[in-house]
Formats: sequence, C-alpha cells, structure tokens
Amino acid sequence: MEAEKLEFFNPKVPLDFQYNNRVGIGIERYLRGLGERKILGSKCPQCGKVAVPPRTVCGKCSATMGEFVEVSQEGTLENFTVGHVQLVKGQRLEKAESPYVVGLVRLDGVDSLLLARISGVDPSDLKVGMRVKAVWRDEVQGDYADLDHFQPA
Amino acid sequence: MRNVGIVGVGYCPRFVSKRTDVCIPEMVSEAVEAAFADCGLGPEDIDAVIFGNMHPFEGVNMPHLWAVEHMRALGKPVMRIATGGTTGMTAFHAAYYHIVSGLHDVVMVVTFEKHSEGDAQVGLLGIITPEAMAMMMAGIDLTGAGGMGAQGGGSAGAITYQAVSWMHKSGATIDHIDAIAAMERRNAARNPYAHLKDPEATPEKIAKTPMISYPVRFGHVCPTTDGATVCILASEERAAKIADKVAWVWGVASCASDPTTGNLIEGLITDPAEQRQCVIAAQEAYKRAGIEDPKKEIDYVEIYNGFAHQTLMYLELVGMCEVGEAHKLLEKGELEISGRLPVNASGGVVSTNAIGTSALNRVTECALQIMGKAGERQVEKEVHKALAHGWGGLMQYVSITILADKPKKL
Amino acid sequence: MAEKVAVVAFKLACAPDLHTTRERLVFNLTRGLFDELGIDRHAIDSFVMNSNDFLDGRTISTVFLDAPSGAYLKDETKVEMDGVHAVMYGWMRIMSGQYETALVVSLALTGSQVSPYVYTQYSLSPAYERQVGLLNELSGAALQAKAYLSRRGYSEELLDLVAAKDLELAAKNPRQIRRLENAGVERVRSSGPTYEPLRELHCYPPTDAGCVVLLASEKKAAELTDKPVWIKGFGSSIDTYFFGERDLTRSPSAADAAKRAFSMAGLTDPAREIDFAEISALYAHEEPLLAESMGLLPEGEAEKAYRAGDTRPGGSLPINPSGGSLGAHAPCVGGLMRLCEAVLQLRGEAGDLQLDGARTALVHGQDGICAQQNGVVILGV
Repeated sequence: MEAEKLEFFNPKVPLDFQYNNRVGIGIERYLRGLGERKILGSKCPQCGKVAVPPRTVCGKCSATMGEFVEVSQEGTLENFTVGHVQLVKGQRLEKAESPYVVGLVRLDGVDSLLLARISGVDPSDLKVGMRVKAVWRDEVQGDYADLDHFQPA
Repeated sequence: MRNVGIVGVGYCPRFVSKRTDVCIPEMVSEAVEAAFADCGLGPEDIDAVIFGNMHPFEGVNMPHLWAVEHMRALGKPVMRIATGGTTGMTAFHAAYYHIVSGLHDVVMVVTFEKHSEGDAQVGLLGIITPEAMAMMMAGIDLTGAGGMGAQGGGSAGAITYQAVSWMHKSGATIDHIDAIAAMERRNAARNPYAHLKDPEATPEKIAKTPMISYPVRFGHVCPTTDGATVCILASEERAAKIADKVAWVWGVASCASDPTTGNLIEGLITDPAEQRQCVIAAQEAYKRAGIEDPKKEIDYVEIYNGFAHQTLMYLELVGMCEVGEAHKLLEKGELEISGRLPVNASGGVVSTNAIGTSALNRVTECALQIMGKAGERQVEKEVHKALAHGWGGLMQYVSITILADKPKKL
Repeated sequence: MAEKVAVVAFKLACAPDLHTTRERLVFNLTRGLFDELGIDRHAIDSFVMNSNDFLDGRTISTVFLDAPSGAYLKDETKVEMDGVHAVMYGWMRIMSGQYETALVVSLALTGSQVSPYVYTQYSLSPAYERQVGLLNELSGAALQAKAYLSRRGYSEELLDLVAAKDLELAAKNPRQIRRLENAGVERVRSSGPTYEPLRELHCYPPTDAGCVVLLASEKKAAELTDKPVWIKGFGSSIDTYFFGERDLTRSPSAADAAKRAFSMAGLTDPAREIDFAEISALYAHEEPLLAESMGLLPEGEAEKAYRAGDTRPGGSLPINPSGGSLGAHAPCVGGLMRLCEAVLQLRGEAGDLQLDGARTALVHGQDGICAQQNGVVILGV
C-alpha cells in the first residue's frame, strides 16, 4: 500500500517516567555480597546447579533455590564481542567512543555464564578459553558497579 | 465445543501497598505455587500459560519473558494478553478459548500488578499523554470546556461525570455511595487477600473522608495494590480427575466502545454512565450461558468497581436489577453477605486493586463462592450460578464471565 | 463448529516513515480491506488487536484504535506480543464455534516515532540486566552469532551470504523498505560494524508497519475468497530468560514451537513437506540457526546449503523468498509481515518473487533477546 504523505503535528513527549523497581530476594543478596567483594550465586537443591547472579527458582527443575553460595572470582572466557556502537538510553544507536569488549565468563564451579566487561587487554589478543579474573572498583558500595570488569588472570 | 472448568486458584499471600521484599517474578511465583497447592497440580501438568498485566505500571515490557522460570513456564506456549482494567478477565477468556477450541486441556492464567514500582496516576495519564502534549503545544486549554485533563485517566476524572450521570438516572444519592463503600470495606475485612479492610466501616465514617471531586470521596476510591493471582482451568474430562469442586464456565463475552474522551477534536463526549458495551457483553454472555432471566438465575455477582458507585451502576447494567433499583436493594440489606443478592463479598476492587489481577479476581472470587471455598467471606445463600464483571480502558471495555456449579449441557 | 480456519485477506503497510498516525493507519488498513472484500465492519465478529504499550508510549495502546478499526461495540481483545500469536488466538476463537471471523489488527511505528530497541530493552530485568547495562538486543545477537558460528564450524562469511541472499530478494519486493542496488556480499561486508561479527546490513532496519489479517471459518471463507489459505497448525514455546544459561547455538523454543506446529498440521517429514519458510530472522545468523532448530536444515549443514543456493528461490528449501526481516521488520507486526508474504506465495500472487508449486509454508515470529520466545504457523493451500 502506498502511504499517503501527510504532515502531522509531532508532539515531543518530555515525560521521563520514574520507576521504583524492587530487586527482590536473589539480587539483594548478590548486591550485599558485592559490598563485601564476594560473588554470590544460588544453588538448586534438586539438580545442584549454581546460577550467578542468584535467583529464587531453578528453571530446569522448577525447584525453589534458597541456598546462596560464594563462588570463585576466576574463570574462563567462553565468548566475547567487540562493540563499536552503544545503545544510548536503550533507544538510540550511536558510535561508541572506542571499541569495547563484552564477554561471557564461566566462573569456576558455576553452571551459568556471567556477562561482563573485559578490559586490560587488547581486543585482538582475546581468545575464547583464556583465564580471567574479577577486578573490583577501589571502593565497593554494594552496587552493581562494584564488580567493575574482568581481565586476564 | 466442550466444557471448561476452574480447578485451582492461587493468590500471593497478601495484597498490600508495597511488597518491598520481592521482585516481580518472585511475587508471581508465590501465586503460582499457591495455585498448584490448591489443586495438587504441578508444572508438568500445565499445557499452556496466559499472562496478563498492565506493564507500563512497572516499566517492564512483556514481563512474562523475565518471569518465565518463576511461573514454571519454560518450554510451554505462553500468550500475553493486555486490555487495560479488563486484562485479568480477557486473559481468563484466552485460557477458556485455548481449551474450548480443543487445542489444550489444562491452562494456567497468571496475572499480577506491582503498583509500588511505578506511579499508577502517571501510568494512567500515560493513556492520553501523546494527545495531551499535542494539545498543550498547540495552545489548547486542557482544563477548559474540552475537559481533556479531567476526562483522561488519572482516576477520578471522568469517573465523577459517570457518578453524577448515574445518580441522575437512578435517583441514588451520595449517601448510597457512602453506604456501598462501607459495605465493601466491611466485606474486605473478612477476606485475607483484601487490601483496605475496616470491620467497623459505616456510611458515616466514609462520609467523613475528603471530597476529591463531587460526588467522589476518598473513601469511594480503590487503593493501588501489589499482588498476583493465578487461576487454573481444565477441560471437562481433565477437571473431573483433578478436583472435587469445579466452577464451570458457562459463558464469556467482551465488548469495546469508544473511549469516554470521545472524539476530542469534534468535541463529542460519550456519557460515561451509558455503558452500552456492558449491556451488550452481558446479554451475549447470558445467551451463551443459556440464561433467560439473570435476576432469578444468578445467585452471586462480583463487580469490578474501581469506584464505589460502580457496584450499583453495573448491577443495573448487567441486568441484575432495573435502573434505579440497585440502591434500594442496598437499603434493604440485600447486597450484604447475608443478603438475597450478595455482591462483592470479597470487598471488590474498591478495597483491593492490583490492576492486572483485578478482573481475574472477580472470576476467582465467584469460583470460590461456587466451590464453597470462600472461608469467612462465603455468602449465606447457596451459589449455583455467578456473574463476574470487569471494565477497563477509558471506561470503554467490558468483559463478563458466567460460572456455575455444574457443567453446561452441550 | 468450524472444521478449519483460513486466512482470507490482509492489508500490509511498511515504510521507513509512514507519515501517519496510529489511528489513521489502522483506519486506512481496515477500511481498505473491507472495501476490497466488499464488506463492512459488521462482517467481523471478533477483533484481536496486536500492539504494545511501550512502542506506543501509551498505557493501553489500543485505547483510541477501537473506533478506527471498526471494533466499536464489538468483541475485542489484545495480544501484546508478536503477531503470529494473535493469529493463533484468532484461530482458537473461530474454532470455539462462537465466532465466524476474526480480524487481527497490528501496528508499530518503530521507523519514525519510537525506537524499535525499546521493545527488548524494557523487557530486560530492571533489577539486574538494565542496571549492569551490557546486554541489549544487538550485543546479545552478536554473542549468539559468535557462539553459533564457532560451535557449528561455520565461517563468518555465512552471515554475509545470508544477508546478501535476503537483501537481493528484498530489492525486488515492493513491500520491503530496504531495497538496495547491488545488495551482494561485498556491499554487506562493507557496511559498518555494530557488535562483532555483526554489521549494519546483518541487522533489520527500523520500520513503520501496520497490518490487518482477516481469518474466517471454512464456511465464511468460501463467501469471502476464492483463494483461502488454511492455517494447518501452529505452536509456541519459550526459553529461559537468563542469558548466561541459554545454549546460544540453538533455539530449543523454536524447535518446540515447530514440533507442535508440525504435529498439529500432520507433517511427519517437515523438511521435505514444507515448500518454503518465512522466518523472522532479525539478525543474519538467526536465519540458519532457527532453520536448523526447526528441523528445516540439518545441524551443521547450513553453510553448505547457503553456498549451494539451497535456500534461494528454486533451491531445495527456499528460506525467506520475500527477503525476510532484513528487508523490513517491526515488533508485533514482524511475524504478520512474514505471514502475508507466505499468503501471497501460496496464492500465486508473489509477482517477481513467485516460487513454483508452493503449497505448504512455515511462518515464524519471535519475541525477546535472541528470540527467547518463538511462534510457528503452518499455512497451506
């Protein structure tokens, strides 16, 4: 169908909705762990799988995951991508100031992969399977940004 | 065509203003577990899941994607239904169609709202935001004769016009609105899943609450609630094996009208008390349920009443009494839990409003009354057939569900 | 009670910018469809709306669309996810025996008015993924592309082959919005990088789209069209939300959805029985990945198949003969765009893109990061 070309009054909607989302049981424990430079996961009582970050239900066996365990801060880089763009406010695709690396890390003893920024290494030197370790920011605050990035171990 | 019945109902443990202890999927999980416990089913028994809420209230798009593990739906068909206030009931209807079409046997409906995570008034105003912004930028006065600001969402806007118009038609007064609000707050006190409860509520007490905009007082208005409700439906063959007590679906219907803001540009405003869509939906549901005289055949009614006058107004519109009669039934005490035509023994939406759940709770409360599982809020008379009502949008959507204690003759 | 349900007619509009409002778009589409069929809105028993509040910037996105769609004082509901699910719901409503017709009304103005990325970005957990800020639909797609290519032993060139095949077809399709001249491997390879290994032309273009699809019972379909296209089967399924737990190299939910659809349609050897597939592959790697998961290509054979031209028109199993989602895609409408293209093929009305002897088609729609949720519809004549 050929669209009719019509000019409309285009209102800009300046409202920026504020939300007050709750992080819940699993992520609250995770954030408290970050404040102590610990990485916490949840362990399934049925299949024994450990998920990071922690949550309260194991998808595979539907069991309630109530046990929170500290996990290793070292692991293996399983997959990575070099980003040349960034999604500003989740909406606008813009060129990134410089390329950056987003990787999937399998922490030792953990069954899930953790999505993390990989730094301290030239992207061309990155290899799947290389050992990496967590790097914390100087002063931890019990916030997501405490676990700053991973770098080669 | 085959029969479909409700076999299990699950609520999260409490419906309150703020559930700060859990995130959305965790709260949903509580209701899912309660529903499984109610009917002895587990995730492996569920063929498909229907999910409903009004996601701008929490700022999470299609939250079934995030909550898939928590609602035990991995690998299952999941359908998201959202129609505003009627969401809970239209999601229930979707589950009904999943089964009645012969596609599935056991279907779970999951609904929730977590109003404390957003601002419900901002969420409701979001209905008209693009139009309002355009009008403001074009220099149109929103508060003037067009009354756009008052007509839009944001709760007690168009509702006041509806209440005045209904009072004019029915001959009811603001005292009746105080009285029905008091009755529902007292009923809510018997319901462990209600939010605003007051066993001592009286019309006089309600009358002392501040006037928002005549004739709507603070005491006539629903709260914003955090809560989740789950309902499990099954085909006739399966239902008989799952549960001793089943509430059977006899008829469902929905109807849409135009928004009460009407045509803004031409200034046509619909009378928000006319609600032709409610009359049409109710008549269609009766037809499908084979009900000829609802006044005689329906024993119990749950009305979606975000505002107290709506209990009485919609009782008239669904044909449970004549126009001008509802407030007289109220005066005679017939709408009470002990009365001849008990209504909203749960306390209604005016006492508990987690929007995504609200229209489904009307259905589940009717089901519990039919099953005799309503606890302290069980009505005194026997309930064989019940009607659940829901409205939504800018007062333009109405959905109706009719339940009974026996399977329908096909 | 209906024995089977047909797609009777549709109207589709796509452009980078439709220069219209939601209300006018919906009115033009429904009115156009009614005029073409010589009916009015009273021929429609049930309206299944299909849009999304986040894409509309409006709570209850359909609030002003009931009148323009003709749903005034009619039965109406809304499925708020990919449009193939709205078609499934329309089928159920007709099969219940309570309705003879259902009109699916779908729209998303994600080319001109709202960013399409809002749709997935706001579906992420505000308690974790949105706060950490690393996962978005593009970074997720890139990680999936890498995992998939490396697990299967495919070269990165497969992405260019897929995109070039789709874009060459899209260039011939008047319903597509990305119609490039010289849309070959070279052109794809020279487009700018997003997240490696994906480039701009491996990704769908933001699109304004609207679509109405009329479904009818067998009896009613006979009155409305000489060329009914039957809904033979459908299926839907969903994967885990947690990105770090997904096996990104395949799609279990697409496999489940397809299996359910095949079983309902009575297909026992789908790779042979299906004549072509219209798959919502928003990123180039998704096309072979989903095709493998749905059993249309053997796992590990995709690169060979693409190099041999098996997935091109005239090949053993043409995939996205319309040019697919790399030519145009909008949330909600996406799956219906694929469905409309399949309907045209099955009716023999696909013009320059017409396949020979197309009688059974697979249509696919998706939602979520890396197609977390998938819906499949089997159409046939």
